[in-house]
Amino acid sequence: MAKNDTILKLDNVMKIYILGGRKNAKKAQKAIQKLQSRHQKLSAKGQNALAVQLEQTLKQAQLLFAQEKYEDSYRVVTDKTLKKRRDRGAVVHALNGVSLDIEAGDLIAIMGPSGSGKTTLLNMLGLLDQPTAGQIFLKSQNVGLIKRRHLPEIRSKELGFVFQSFNLVPTLTALENAMLPLKYSGVHMAKRRQMAKEALVQVGLGDRLNHRSNELSGGQQQRVAIARSVVNSPSIVFGDELTGELDSKMTADVMSLVKKLNRKGQTFVIVTHNPEVAKVCRRIIYMKDGRIEREVKK
Amino acid sequence: MREVLRNMFRRKTRTVLTIFGITIGIFAFTVMGSMAEKINLLVSGGTKYYADKVTVSGSDSLFLTAPLDIHKKPQIAKVEGVTAVSATVYTSLSEKFDAVSFGPPASIVGSEVEIEKRFETFKITYSSGRELNADDQGKVVVGSDLVKKLGAKVGSPVKVRGQDYEVVGIMNKTLTAPDNTVAMILADAQKIYYGELPEIVRASSRPEAVVNGFTVYVKEGVDPNQLAEKINNEVPDVVANGPKAFQDQIASATAIFNSILFGVALISLVVGGLSVINTMTMSISERTREIGIKKAIGAKTHHIMGEYLTEAAFIGLFGGLLGWGLGALTVTAINAATEESGNVIFLLSPRISIFAIAFAVILGVIAGFYPAYHAVKINIVKALREQ
Repeated sequence: MAKNDTILKLDNVMKIYILGGRKNAKKAQKAIQKLQSRHQKLSAKGQNALAVQLEQTLKQAQLLFAQEKYEDSYRVVTDKTLKKRRDRGAVVHALNGVSLDIEAGDLIAIMGPSGSGKTTLLNMLGLLDQPTAGQIFLKSQNVGLIKRRHLPEIRSKELGFVFQSFNLVPTLTALENAMLPLKYSGVHMAKRRQMAKEALVQVGLGDRLNHRSNELSGGQQQRVAIARSVVNSPSIVFGDELTGELDSKMTADVMSLVKKLNRKGQTFVIVTHNPEVAKVCRRIIYMKDGRIEREVKK
Repeated sequence: MREVLRNMFRRKTRTVLTIFGITIGIFAFTVMGSMAEKINLLVSGGTKYYADKVTVSGSDSLFLTAPLDIHKKPQIAKVEGVTAVSATVYTSLSEKFDAVSFGPPASIVGSEVEIEKRFETFKITYSSGRELNADDQGKVVVGSDLVKKLGAKVGSPVKVRGQDYEVVGIMNKTLTAPDNTVAMILADAQKIYYGELPEIVRASSRPEAVVNGFTVYVKEGVDPNQLAEKINNEVPDVVANGPKAFQDQIASATAIFNSILFGVALISLVVGGLSVINTMTMSISERTREIGIKKAIGAKTHHIMGEYLTEAAFIGLFGGLLGWGLGALTVTAINAATEESGNVIFLLSPRISIFAIAFAVILGVIAGFYPAYHAVKINIVKALREQ
């Protein structure tokens, strides 16, 4: 009974690691190794029933691990029934059956006319809003089943956001702004400061750490916002018109930074009206009337 | 912490005005509270003093000084339940009673010191010198609040009603009536009192026969209130009062004062609280998008709630500290100005200080709760649409 418990515990540990994000990949690998050695011991002792049970667990774990491509994966999958209904006098479907699969390392642009459902989709993928119908899976986990009080934690640890404008907290310095998600995910102050500094250096603002937003240009502000969005090494960064208020030079500047981060493996999903921004992306999804009209892959 | 302070002073004028609103409330609370504290201590001292004895005078009031014949003393002493009787003279330190006085006016008290030494349970200690002895003619002990006024020093003379008396002791602060008293032996006080009496009274009396009160010490197990009634019944032309009379006449008055204080606190609560609610609601509505961004990047309920409650608490704290500071300055200045006249009005005790500041902080937090709750409930998607 005790041994069965151990196996079940290991099984649960695996699930937790698999669902827990890529930061736990090493732990997941260790757990798999433990399962393997336990399996070998049980087989050697001739405890076949337990060995078979453990073998199944091991296979499951290895499959999950392989499927998730753990080192760099965080998949978001939506099913075809994903809908968002808004009641504005008459019923309007902001989203009306959207199916999307975001792979790790993707650089996706979502385009479409105003009211096509781009931002609504982004809000739901970013766990800021709930669908009226349909499901969203983050790494095989149905988001709809996650308790609402746990969503902020997932957002602060796994997701990053860059918005169009008024993106920074004006009373905070660039460094303090970049530290915010770390504060919310409970990272210790000294580590927070160091990680935020590194993120700002990465976006080329190492010399602007103590500047407040009113002391930075629009492009620099968006760079701080990008630093803030990647500071926690999130699985996906969502950008909503992140170059919307920037001139063409600043837009190019920001997008080259996005590309640079994407090359390092950072997944981006960007809602934009700007074809220049879309050009940089590998997948361009065109939306119309709450549906995906077509997708262009480069 | 720094963020909270920066947020507070985004709208400097508005925040300063809100803080000032609380400042006024806490200032009023500190000043009134200090006054109430002084009164309460006076009353509590009085309650303690009168708790186990009966006072006999020639009129209905505890403090009026109608003359009594000292020959009433053996009649009172004969009443069943009386242990001892001390004749007393109580009169104003100045020629006339002070027109403006806080608590009992500066007074001269003469008594039979040997009897008091044996029976008095309200013990006085001395910061310098010693207590009076029965043969201390021409000598006085001085209450702590009158030291400055009289320029009293042990061994040196002080002028009382134009005459020199040698100071033999200076009392420690009792925070009640003796602080404002010059004590002397009965015979000396009788001479002063006799001089105050109208010619017609003086003509029919002698200084050593005139007093204006008796302190009656009660046998163990006897109720002083019942004894007072007994004295009233058995001894003609005197009014005896037990501890209940003091409670009725004085202690109940402090209840009114305490109610006024409570009223001031309540008004400051309402005014200060409303202005904090107003300020915080305004600032939250101005920061809706910012709250949306914070929530989007992972701020939990307690982060947002904590941020705004801390801000409200700081507004309360600043208002409280400022109000308390101004109140303390005012109280100290007035006390310093009136100390010369022996009329100390305020007592700013640590409990009043702590309560005033804590009250301001708690007020801020309570008032900030509704706006903070509103901030927590902000819908992220709607907030992000705000420009």
